[in-house]
Amino acid sequence: MSLNPLNTVADLRDYLQVAIALEHATLPPYLIAMYSLKPGHNSAAYQQIRMVAIEEMLHLVLSANILNAVGGTPDLTAPDFVPKYPTHLQNGEKDFVVNVQRFSKEAINNFLQIERPVAPPHDHGRFSRSMTRSAATSYAVPPVRQADGQELHFCTIGEFYKEICEKMELLEKEANARNETIFTGDPARQIDAGYYYSGGGEILVVTDLTSASKAIRLITEQGEGYEGGIFDYEGELSHYYRFQQIKLGRYYVCGDKPDHPTGARFTVDWDAVYPVKCNSDISDYRDHPELLAAVMDFRATYQTFLENVTKALTGQPQILQETVGEMFRLKEKFYHLMKNPIPGQCDVNAAPVFGPIR
Amino acid sequence: MPEVKLAHAGCVDPAAAAAKFYDVVVVGAGVSGAIIAKELSEAGKRVLVLEAGPGHDMSLEGYETYLNRFYTAVSKDNNSPYAKNPYAPMPRTEDVKRLTPGKPDATGYLVQNGPYPLESTYTRVVGGTTMHWEGKALRMVPEDFKTSTLFGHGRDWPLSYRDLMSDYDKAEFELGVSAEVESQSYLGIEFEPGYVFPMHELPPSYLDKAVSRVVDGSEVLLDGKQYPLTVRTTPQARNSIPNPAYNGGQGYQPVGAVSIYPIDYGERCQGNINCVPLCPVQAKYDATKTLAKALATGRVDLLSQAVASKINYDTGTGTVTNIEVKTYDLEGQTSRTISVKGQIFVLAANAVENARLMLASKLPNTSDQIGRNLMDHPFLLNWALMPQVTGTMRGSQSTSGIEELRTGEFRKKQAAFRVSIHNDGWGWSTGAPYAQFLEAVDRQNKFGKKLRERLVDQISRQLQLAIQFELMPDPKNRVTVEDRYTDGLGNLRPVLNYELSDYALEGVAYARRFCQLIFQRLGAEDYTSYDPREPGYLEYKGQGYSIRGGNHWSGTHLMGTNPADSVVDANQRCWDHPNLYPVGGGSMPTIGTSNTTLTLAALCFRTARHLSQVLA
Repeated sequence: MSLNPLNTVADLRDYLQVAIALEHATLPPYLIAMYSLKPGHNSAAYQQIRMVAIEEMLHLVLSANILNAVGGTPDLTAPDFVPKYPTHLQNGEKDFVVNVQRFSKEAINNFLQIERPVAPPHDHGRFSRSMTRSAATSYAVPPVRQADGQELHFCTIGEFYKEICEKMELLEKEANARNETIFTGDPARQIDAGYYYSGGGEILVVTDLTSASKAIRLITEQGEGYEGGIFDYEGELSHYYRFQQIKLGRYYVCGDKPDHPTGARFTVDWDAVYPVKCNSDISDYRDHPELLAAVMDFRATYQTFLENVTKALTGQPQILQETVGEMFRLKEKFYHLMKNPIPGQCDVNAAPVFGPIR
Repeated sequence: MPEVKLAHAGCVDPAAAAAKFYDVVVVGAGVSGAIIAKELSEAGKRVLVLEAGPGHDMSLEGYETYLNRFYTAVSKDNNSPYAKNPYAPMPRTEDVKRLTPGKPDATGYLVQNGPYPLESTYTRVVGGTTMHWEGKALRMVPEDFKTSTLFGHGRDWPLSYRDLMSDYDKAEFELGVSAEVESQSYLGIEFEPGYVFPMHELPPSYLDKAVSRVVDGSEVLLDGKQYPLTVRTTPQARNSIPNPAYNGGQGYQPVGAVSIYPIDYGERCQGNINCVPLCPVQAKYDATKTLAKALATGRVDLLSQAVASKINYDTGTGTVTNIEVKTYDLEGQTSRTISVKGQIFVLAANAVENARLMLASKLPNTSDQIGRNLMDHPFLLNWALMPQVTGTMRGSQSTSGIEELRTGEFRKKQAAFRVSIHNDGWGWSTGAPYAQFLEAVDRQNKFGKKLRERLVDQISRQLQLAIQFELMPDPKNRVTVEDRYTDGLGNLRPVLNYELSDYALEGVAYARRFCQLIFQRLGAEDYTSYDPREPGYLEYKGQGYSIRGGNHWSGTHLMGTNPADSVVDANQRCWDHPNLYPVGGGSMPTIGTSNTTLTLAALCFRTARHLSQVLA
C-alpha cells in the first residue's frame, strides 16, 4: 500500500490521517524516555521532553481539526495506527528508525533525528526536489507512489506538512473557482479551547483555508522553528533545539544562534534512569506471566484511550475531559511497569507495549 | 503562551537599591505588593520591592525545591515547604500550644499573650502567603460593608460594595478566578451587566453532588426565620476552562507557572487534592505570577532577604523619608543595614508585619488603632462518614459550599458563617488519609485486599464541613511589640493578644448544631469530637469546641473616614503620613465571611489607581 500523490480532497484526507498517526508515533518514544527518568532527578530534561510531548499532542488535535474541517474522519483505532517499534516515521523518512527506549544519549540523538529542521529553500529542501527514492520497507504507512511506480519519501516532517499545505491551498482555489469549498466538515467536530487541556500552545478551530494554514504553520514552526530559526513565531524554542539543550546541558536564550546556546547550564544525570527494555515487545514477557499481564493491561488501557480520543475527535468533544483521567491512569501504569526488572535479564526493566502484537 | 516568562529575575543588590530614589518603595512581595508593583510599573513608575524572605524561587527549580521539602516533611503544615530562617521567621502551626493563663508563650515567632492562642500562620518568602493559600476567592456580600449600621456590630467601611465592584473585576482577572455569575449572585452580590468570570467554575465534586441532593431546598431555622439552603460552587483562583465570553468575547488565557525558561506548565487544575500549601502543577494562583509581570516591565527591582526594620519620617510634615532595611546573607550569617528612599512608601507585608513595623518604628499613632482590631476567621471543623462511597480525596480541596447564612437579621445577635465541603475529607481535622491508613495497618492489622477495602470504606466516605465565622473588629485583639522579644536580626517580634467574643461563639454554637442537623439529614455518622488538649479548645455554654485559625490576618490598620478612629483612609493612605500606604488585609474594617485575599487584592487595585494619579 502507498499514498497517492496529493491531487484530490480524498488524498488530502489520507495525508491528514497519516499526519495524525505521525504525530502520535512520536509519543511512545518521548513518553518512555520522560517516564524513565527517576522522579526527583533531571527536572530540566523532564520538562523539556514534556513540553515537546504535549506539543505533539496539540499537533495531533490540530491535524484532526483540519481533517474534520475538510470532511474527513480521524481514526486513532485504525489498524497499524500505532506502529510497532522500531519503526520508520510515517511520513516515509527512511534514513533512521525510531526506537522506544530509556532516557539516554542515544534516545536524545534519535529525538534530534525525528525533529530535524527542514533544510532552507536554497538547499534543495523542497519536497519536489528532495524526495528520496528507496526500496519499500515492511512499514505499513506508505511512501508516495508515482504514476511510474517510483516511490518517493519525504525528508522531514516539515516537508510533509508543506506538501499538505500547498495542495490544500490549490484544492481550495480550484473549489472556489467552482463556487465550492473543500471545508465542508461539521463545525461541531472541532476541538476548541474549552476542551483542549493544558499547554502546548493554543488550539485553533479550523473552518476555512486561513485557519487551516495557520494550524499547519503552528505545527511546523513549533517542531522546526520559523524559517530555519530556532524559535517559532510565538517566540518559543522549536523541538529540535529543545532536545539539543538536553544534549548540550545548556538553555537557549533569545538571540542565540543555532547550536550555540548561551543560557544557564544544567546538569543531566544520565544514570538516574529506570533501565527499561528498548522497543519492548510482548515476546519479552512470554515467560513472565505477571509482567505479561501488566503489559497486556497497559496495552488494553492504551487502546481504550485511543478509542475515546477518536470519539472525542469525531463529534463528542466532551469525552476529551474524561480521557484526562485515563491519561493519569496510564501514567501510573507506565511507572508500574518501568519499576519492575525482567527476571533473568541483567539490569533491564519492563516497559509498556503500545502497538500491534505480531 | 499563557505562562509568564522571566527574562531576568529583576534582582538588585543592596548597594544598588540604596543608591536609587524610587517612585515607589513596596515592602513585601506577596499579593498586595505584587499588584501595586505591577500596576505602577506598567504605568511607567520605578518600583523597589523588598522581600524579607529568600527570592531565588521564581523558577520551576525553586518551586520544586519547595515541593520536595513539603513531600519529605513529616508534619505537612502549610509552611512546611519553607526552610526555617532566623532572619525572617514565620509563624508555624507546630508552635501553637495551649496557653497557661497570664503566661505569654514566646516559643514560636509570634509571642502569644492569649487569652486564646491564634493558630494562624503566614509565609515570608517571595509570593507571600499565596505560597500556601488554598485559593478561595469569594467577594464580600454588600451588607458586610455596613455591619455597624445594619446590625449594631463591627464597623462600617468608608466604601460600599458598589464602590469596590470594578476593582473586584480586576482582582478576579489578576488572580484568575473560576466561577459562574449565576451561582455567585446571592445575598445582594451584584455584577456589572454582561460580566462573566475569567474561567468557568471548577466542576462540583461527586461528594458535593451527594450533599446537594439532600441539602438543596432544605431549610434551617435561625433566630425565628427559616433559611432555605443551596450548595453552590466556590469561586477560586485556580485555572479551569476559560470562559470565551470573558471581556466582551475576548476570552481569557489561564496563567501558568512562572519560569525563567519556557516550560508550558501549570495551565489547569488536575484535581490533585493538594492545593495547600502548593499546587503540584501550579494551576493555583500565587503572587509570583503577578510579580513576574511586574518584573517584565524592566522598571521593578526586587531586593530579597531584606527586612524593613524602621520607617523614618519628617516630624514636621509626617512625610516618610526613608526605610531602614536589614539585609542578610544566609550562608555567611552576616547582615548589614541600608536605607532605601522613594517618593511613596507602600507597606504590603501583611496585617501583622505592617503593624509590627509601624509600631517598632514608633510612628505617631493618632488614632491609637495601629495593631488593634486584629481579625481572622475562626474555623470549626465537623466531620462524618457518608452512608455511601462519595469518592472523597478527588478534586481541588473544596469545590462547593453553603453561603445562605453569610448574612441576615441574625447578625444582630450572632456571627455569620459560611460552610465549605471538603473534598480532602478529614484531612484538616484528623490528618486523613494518613491517619486512617496507620490505624488500619497498625491497630486493625489489615493488609492486602482487606486493607484496600478498609481504606475505601473509611476514606472514600469522608465528609468534612469547615465552618468559617466572621469575627468583628475588637480593639483588645491586637498586635504589639515589646523590646524583650526580638528575632535573629534584632527586629521586634509581633506580640498577639487575642480572644473570641460571645458574638462569635454564639455563631460557633449554632453552627455546630447546624452541622449535626445536616449530618442527620444526610444519614451520615458524625465522628466530630473536640479534644480538650488541643490548643484551640474552649468551652462555651457548657459545650466544648476546637477552634482553628483561618490565616486571614486583617484589621490592624483599618480604614475609616475619621483620623481619630482609623489608621488609613479609603485609599489606604495613612492619616498621619501623606506618603505612607499600609495596604492589604490590615486595612479592612470588617471581613465578613469571605476569605480576605480577593477583597484585599481589589483594595490594592484601587490604591494603585490612586497612586498613579498622585505620581502623575
